[in-house]
Amino acid sequence: MKLKYIIPFSIIGAVLVTGCKKDFLKTEPTSFVTPEQLGDASRQDPKLLNGSISGLYTTMFTTGVGGTTGHDDFGQKGIDIYSDMLSSDMVLGALNYGWYSDIARYQATVDFTTNEDYIPWRYYYRQVFGANAIIDILGGTDAVPETVPLKQTMGQAKAMRAYGYFYLSQLYATDYGDGTAKILPIYTTSDIAKANQPKSTAKEVWDLMISDLQTAITYLDGFQRTSKDQVDQNVAKGLLAYVLAARGTQEDWAEVATLCADIKNAYPKTTAGEVVYNGTNLNEAGFNNAATPSWMWGVDLTLAQGLDLVSWWGQVDLFTYSYAWAGDPKTIDEGLYNKIRTDDIRKGQFDPPNGGAEPEYAADGYAPGDFDYMPINKFYDPGRTPGGQRQVVTDYLYMRADEFYLMYAEAEAYLGHDDEARQALSSYLSDRITDVSYIDNLSGQQLKDEINLQTRIELWGEGKSYLVMKRDKATITRGPNHLFFDGDSFQYNDPKLTFLIPQAEELNNPNLNK
Amino acid sequence: MKNVFMVFIGLIFSGLVANAQTHVVEGHVTSSDGSPLIGITVQVKGSSIATATDAKGDFKLNVNPNATLVFTGIGFEEQSVNIGDRSEVNVSMASSTQKLSEVVVTGYSTSTKEAFTGSAKVVSGEQLNKKDISNVSQALAGEIAGVQVINTSGQPGTSATIRIRGIGSVNGNRDPLYVVDGVAYSGTLSSINPSDIASITVLKDAAATAIYGVDGSNGVIVITTKNGRSKESFIEVDAKYGSNKSLLPRYSVLTSPEEFIALAWEGLYNEGVITGDPNPTSYANENLFSDAGISPNNNIWTVTNGADLIDPATRTVKAGISRKYNPERWEDYAFQPSNRTEINVKMGGGDSKTNYYSSFGYLKDNGYSINSDFKRFTARLNLNHQVKSWLKTDMNINYSNGTTNNNGQESNSNSVFWFVDNIPPIYPLFKRDSTGSKIADPIFGGYQYDYGNTGRKFGSLTNAIADAHYNTLLTKINELSGNTSITINFTKDLSLQNRLGVQYYNQDYWELTNKFYGSAAGQNGSIFQQKDELLNLNLLNMLRYAHRFNEHNVEVLAAHEATNFKLTESSASGYNLVSNNSLELDNAIVKNPTSSSYANTNKLESYFAQLNYDYNNTYYLSATVRRDGSSRFIAGNAWGTFGAVGLGWEMTRMNFMQNQNVVEYLKLKASYGVIGDQSGLGYYPGYDHIDIGNLNDNPSFGVPVPGNPNLTWETSKMSQVGVEFRLGNYLTGSVDYYIKNTDNLIFDRRIGPSNGYALITVNDGQLRNQGIEFDLTAHLIKKANFFLDLGVNGEHFSNEITTMPIDPSTSKPKNIDNQSPYGWSKGHSIYDFYIRNFAGVDPADGTSTWTVYYHDDNNNKAFDDGEGVSDLEAYYGSNPDKKGTLLKGITKAYSEATQYYVGKSAIPKIRGAFNLNTGFKGLVLSAQLLYSVGGYSYDGAYAVLMNNDLIGGNNWSTDIRKRWQKEGDITNVPRISNNADARVNSTSSRFITEASYLVLNNVRLAYSIPEKILKNQNVAKQITVFISGDNLWLKSARNGFNPSTAESGASDMYRYSPLSTISVGLNAKF
Repeated sequence: MKLKYIIPFSIIGAVLVTGCKKDFLKTEPTSFVTPEQLGDASRQDPKLLNGSISGLYTTMFTTGVGGTTGHDDFGQKGIDIYSDMLSSDMVLGALNYGWYSDIARYQATVDFTTNEDYIPWRYYYRQVFGANAIIDILGGTDAVPETVPLKQTMGQAKAMRAYGYFYLSQLYATDYGDGTAKILPIYTTSDIAKANQPKSTAKEVWDLMISDLQTAITYLDGFQRTSKDQVDQNVAKGLLAYVLAARGTQEDWAEVATLCADIKNAYPKTTAGEVVYNGTNLNEAGFNNAATPSWMWGVDLTLAQGLDLVSWWGQVDLFTYSYAWAGDPKTIDEGLYNKIRTDDIRKGQFDPPNGGAEPEYAADGYAPGDFDYMPINKFYDPGRTPGGQRQVVTDYLYMRADEFYLMYAEAEAYLGHDDEARQALSSYLSDRITDVSYIDNLSGQQLKDEINLQTRIELWGEGKSYLVMKRDKATITRGPNHLFFDGDSFQYNDPKLTFLIPQAEELNNPNLNK
Repeated sequence: MKNVFMVFIGLIFSGLVANAQTHVVEGHVTSSDGSPLIGITVQVKGSSIATATDAKGDFKLNVNPNATLVFTGIGFEEQSVNIGDRSEVNVSMASSTQKLSEVVVTGYSTSTKEAFTGSAKVVSGEQLNKKDISNVSQALAGEIAGVQVINTSGQPGTSATIRIRGIGSVNGNRDPLYVVDGVAYSGTLSSINPSDIASITVLKDAAATAIYGVDGSNGVIVITTKNGRSKESFIEVDAKYGSNKSLLPRYSVLTSPEEFIALAWEGLYNEGVITGDPNPTSYANENLFSDAGISPNNNIWTVTNGADLIDPATRTVKAGISRKYNPERWEDYAFQPSNRTEINVKMGGGDSKTNYYSSFGYLKDNGYSINSDFKRFTARLNLNHQVKSWLKTDMNINYSNGTTNNNGQESNSNSVFWFVDNIPPIYPLFKRDSTGSKIADPIFGGYQYDYGNTGRKFGSLTNAIADAHYNTLLTKINELSGNTSITINFTKDLSLQNRLGVQYYNQDYWELTNKFYGSAAGQNGSIFQQKDELLNLNLLNMLRYAHRFNEHNVEVLAAHEATNFKLTESSASGYNLVSNNSLELDNAIVKNPTSSSYANTNKLESYFAQLNYDYNNTYYLSATVRRDGSSRFIAGNAWGTFGAVGLGWEMTRMNFMQNQNVVEYLKLKASYGVIGDQSGLGYYPGYDHIDIGNLNDNPSFGVPVPGNPNLTWETSKMSQVGVEFRLGNYLTGSVDYYIKNTDNLIFDRRIGPSNGYALITVNDGQLRNQGIEFDLTAHLIKKANFFLDLGVNGEHFSNEITTMPIDPSTSKPKNIDNQSPYGWSKGHSIYDFYIRNFAGVDPADGTSTWTVYYHDDNNNKAFDDGEGVSDLEAYYGSNPDKKGTLLKGITKAYSEATQYYVGKSAIPKIRGAFNLNTGFKGLVLSAQLLYSVGGYSYDGAYAVLMNNDLIGGNNWSTDIRKRWQKEGDITNVPRISNNADARVNSTSSRFITEASYLVLNNVRLAYSIPEKILKNQNVAKQITVFISGDNLWLKSARNGFNPSTAESGASDMYRYSPLSTISVGLNAKF
């Protein structure tokens, strides 16, 4: 009697006991993907493969990619601020929250324990790793992909690898020197078994960058990118021009001139209307739109990227909910400002001392002097409300044609072709400066210095003046509005101007100095 | 000889009689609360015929009519029953005053303290409920040797962090496993109403925890809720009313604006000296109120510059200077008078077949910080029913509804505590107009808060107090947990149990940032919402066989268990609000496209078996074997086999112990086991991690972060020996010694960030924890109307990395893993300070000096550029021949200083608690003191208060008064210089602080109205009234520094210092 009840219960129990399926323990993530999941999804939808190379571009503006939670850690544009401040053209105008004060004070660069030394190192090597992962999937550095789309992917990956090494070489080594100095570890594969490489020489680093970019230029021939965040052939040419100019042999300058000429043919320069806000061109100017024709490389930021305070705009732009608004303004070096000719429209990019936009914002409590030297007419959120843009949808600029219009003149000057250089410079500046005739009187070093100056003025705040300083082996002098070291001069190879390999690398890479 | 003979004859005779005339008596033995008692000896008086009760408390014995049965058990009053001609005798045993014998609930079975071979401590619900806390985890503080309860926040309802027996892992899990009514628990601890708890058993060693296998390696906390077994129907009501306060001291900081501004001036003056300004006084005067100093908008005085304000000779504010207004003290507005109300109604009862317990609880606990509170409703039903003689069902179900407001507690400028302790006293809470008057707020009423947007250099554009008032940070949770089981008894000895355990919750979190002031004003207010849903299912099937063969008592069980954990999280946000109050997203005009949802899963499957055996209630053996599989590990590494063996010997039952009366009870025990842990990892650590991004509305896959497919179980090998004893009637206690070696450590191995990733999680390295624990209670006075018990418990332990993980690039164990301020290396604990050593202040110029080890390459006995060693252990690792040859010097450059072991550790020498209980007639007074002696912790919050930041950027500790001021000053506090000297308060030995402390954790005075009075009144059967205080007093090395709030003792400038509660209450039983 009892048994007939017990049996069904026992059966239920037995079913439950054996109920776990063989793959019960297999679970998969949903907040990210694994390479296996991506592989499966790509078999159904091969378009997804583009997403891998696209990830390198996303990494360029993602917060925290330098391995910290700092509000100065947001990829390429964050490091642009570092370099603009090291070269002193960008001034930390006041201190409140204090981001960048270690940079402005040259305390970070001489102390390998700081996050400022760590963030660029971590970020660019992350990009190198990401590029290597894609290169490995395509067969490795020496493989030649079979199809055009695969070649285009390989070309982009190699260009991004060279991009990573280029910035590392600029930030962590004083210069190319004779090429024998050991400067950086090189990784050409993402294979974990080849971890912790020792430093290679400058020559080895430059050889790798040049080879990668030459391959990229070949593979990207005919590549029609779908958005400006991607590296195309002209971006690769631009990167190669930077790499060669940073080494600076006569052969290099000759090739730089050729590369720049190619880019000039492909892209217009930034127009006078796009360069400075004059009260009528609100949506044309502002350096906030990737669709600007002269922009070669940049990213169209939307709400989907979720950027806010922790961003370039959140550090620099008065009209964004930003540190610049909250008491850490980023301003132009007064010495540089004073060198901008009075008939140069670019002088209007900066709020002038003794006057400017403050009266328009008196109702918000601003008084004359509050915006002095801030780039409020060069970079701005079109809302133009102090502290206004809460979520950043103004775009990021990485590279624009003007860099190569100017570098073309520079290359010609270095090659001794002063006529060509003068003409290129005059022609470039003709819609910015009313009277460019003064250029006709310049030659030799004076001409090079003028090109250097005009490059710094044109590209202020775009992360380029540090690169110009290094390749011109310039000596910089801090203007009177610097909070620290005002009036002091520094040579390009001063240890204060170059980052130290961070402590985390010294501690955790036992092979580094082998 | 004669005696022996007589006994022998007697035995034969009684045996014959038994065979001839006996009848069978059956019975059930329970404790006074109705739970079955195991191992109670039932003996026929005057004979050797005896048995013991089985796992269900039942016994069966052949006896003569009119025999008398004697029931004995350690911890219970002996009881004699004349059976007459009855065939069933049920007995309820009263606890003896020694109360040594406790039922140890081990989840899958119950045992007695005597029969249990492992280390377990039972804390009764009554003891737990002496403390007026809102989260049960906090109640364990001080109750158990070797259990550290870390109260991390004053936010009501917060779960404490619990550590059992040292520090179980390096990067893996250190938390214990929680088990509620037999089922491993993944719900929130705050959903459990402490007044529903019958007891908590903490299991510490392998023999005790092995049966739980997965994640039992850091100890198991078994929570058992009440039932109504064998109780007359009852109604019980608790009502408590209390007040929450901030009684523990805060940091002593500057409160005078004049003192502060004078120091600011001095900082500028010193900066002028350092930068070579020809006239430092005028440099300071000019810059004091300027962009480079304190904004003129924050000048609260009636003079406009430093020259008029400060007397340069005395470096103080000149006499007769008046203020435009008096800035508020932020503390006065940050904290609120707050109260705590708790009401519980409990009902229960039962007969031989059915019993139940039900309860309803209400709690409202307001924190002392504004807008921080916790509200909870709970309802519980525990029901047990014997359906048929062979079928039994049990069901426990708990519902909880919780509401938490936790404003002002983030680790950023939102923190009320950061503001209170760190804002310079010159800054007002309320905005001032040009005349210094407060400005009425047209929106919320009252006055407008100062958001510091006119140059305040501390937390500018924010005001944590205003945010705490105007913004909403609200969490609501609905939680259901419980289990149901069916037990089938095939025979008296063999049973099968099916049990389903469920924890389910749905939690909503809302964050509304108001549209008028603060960070979201520019976007007209914003809303963020997050929803979490947990479903954790646990299915158990267990066969159990228990039988007593004469003196041999055997229990065997075998089981299969499967767990499916799934936590789903989704979030969405929007801005531009219509109403400033509605928390739902439709109130936002713009919805952000960054909405998200994902699920994390963890599945576990286990097979296990256990054997429990005892011989004559004297020798005990328990053996467990368990095979566990976890979804966190990729196929091939998923399964691990674990197990344990425990032995016990109750020496006082031996003949040779019978002729003394000093040692009343003595048990020796030993155990060894191997246990696995898998929970200290992400859910999918084996896979490479690729983030999915959006670029131009197309997929963008981030740079991969490598996972490690070879990861598998971290295993702990635990051995222990212990002793439990009672000396006379006056001292009970236990002492345990353990060694716990953890292998295959889950270790985040760092590599050079040039590789593209900074660390990879591996199973490598070994960690050893060993320690000794003691728990002693002295019954000093034991009279009819008066008793006095004094208890002390404590632990001493050491923690040591015995093997470091291999660095594959050298194929050798890594010398040192720098985890500033600690260093991990072989032979050191994970909390040994590896740090730059502060070597004092140079009396000549007031700058900091640090120790540097250097190789004196040029033999000039002085430290020169390039000779320094930055990391001593790493240097010795690659230059072993240099050991002992380095010289020690000092440097003024922080980055040149050497990091090395400065000989201090955060691990205390001894810690535990004192417990006092005393009673006179109906009055009972109890007190609990927590102590920790030895060890050092890093006081980072104090470091911030000893800053050399830009002036106006942060307040100072009153210790800044000891700073260097002029040549020749001998002090340990460097000069202040408006940040001209860098790294002044960077991580160094300067802020390592002694971590000893003494806490008055609980005091309670209760009075029970005598029963004879109640009898006449016919109101209630029992009434107790009490007054109690929790967390009343703390003594530590420095006011404000509370090492009991973090595992390492380190301070945190954002921490909500635990609150103190003073309550009155009433308990009545009807």
